[in-house]
Amino acid sequence: MYETGRLCVKIAGRDARQKCVIVEVLDDHFVMIDGQTRRRKCNIKHLEPLDKVLKIKKGASHSEVAAAFKKEGFEVTEKKSKPKKEKTAKKRKSVEKGAAKKSIPKKEDSEKTTKPAKETKKKTESKDKKKK
Amino acid sequence: MTEPRFRSRTFARVKKRLPGGETKTHYVKRKPKVAKCGTCGTSLKGIPKERPYKMKILGKSKKTNERPYGGNLCSKCARALIKKEARL
Repeated sequence: MYETGRLCVKIAGRDARQKCVIVEVLDDHFVMIDGQTRRRKCNIKHLEPLDKVLKIKKGASHSEVAAAFKKEGFEVTEKKSKPKKEKTAKKRKSVEKGAAKKSIPKKEDSEKTTKPAKETKKKTESKDKKKK
Repeated sequence: MTEPRFRSRTFARVKKRLPGGETKTHYVKRKPKVAKCGTCGTSLKGIPKERPYKMKILGKSKKTNERPYGGNLCSKCARALIKKEARL
């Protein structure tokens, strides 16, 4: 009864009450289904077979299944993925504060760096004087 | 002695263990009954039993099953009904 192309209704789960077609028989208990439901592995216990058999190759793609469904007059709603928007990074107030805090020690650092430079200059000058 | 209003059985008594080690009885308003299947009357799984103020806070998906007739019929009865619909 559960062969490829058999139209079924899903009984259990979030896709319950939706029509699907068996794309591939995997096992004694499991089949691959597609159609109005999402394409997924499914237990036979969760399916109710109908009297129709669609003409589908084994392992048919989703577009082929959708075309077969349209022929029978069943609508297949496609998932529309929204175009991704580029997120602009928001400036946090806390970050700005932190930057201001950071800027203060930087000045100190610069002073520190400059001071020894002067000293070295002085030293060099003194050395020069000594030489003279 | 407890407060007079707590002496009635409208409040449920919950024993709480305090951080100091002693146990104390807290008086809490009773919770509503468990949700039941519309046809067979078995208790529904996955549906919380909370007072309305807390049910308001909870999201829709936390209060129902993600299935047609979810939150009204149990899984067995829902399956039977969907099978019936399919055969018609």
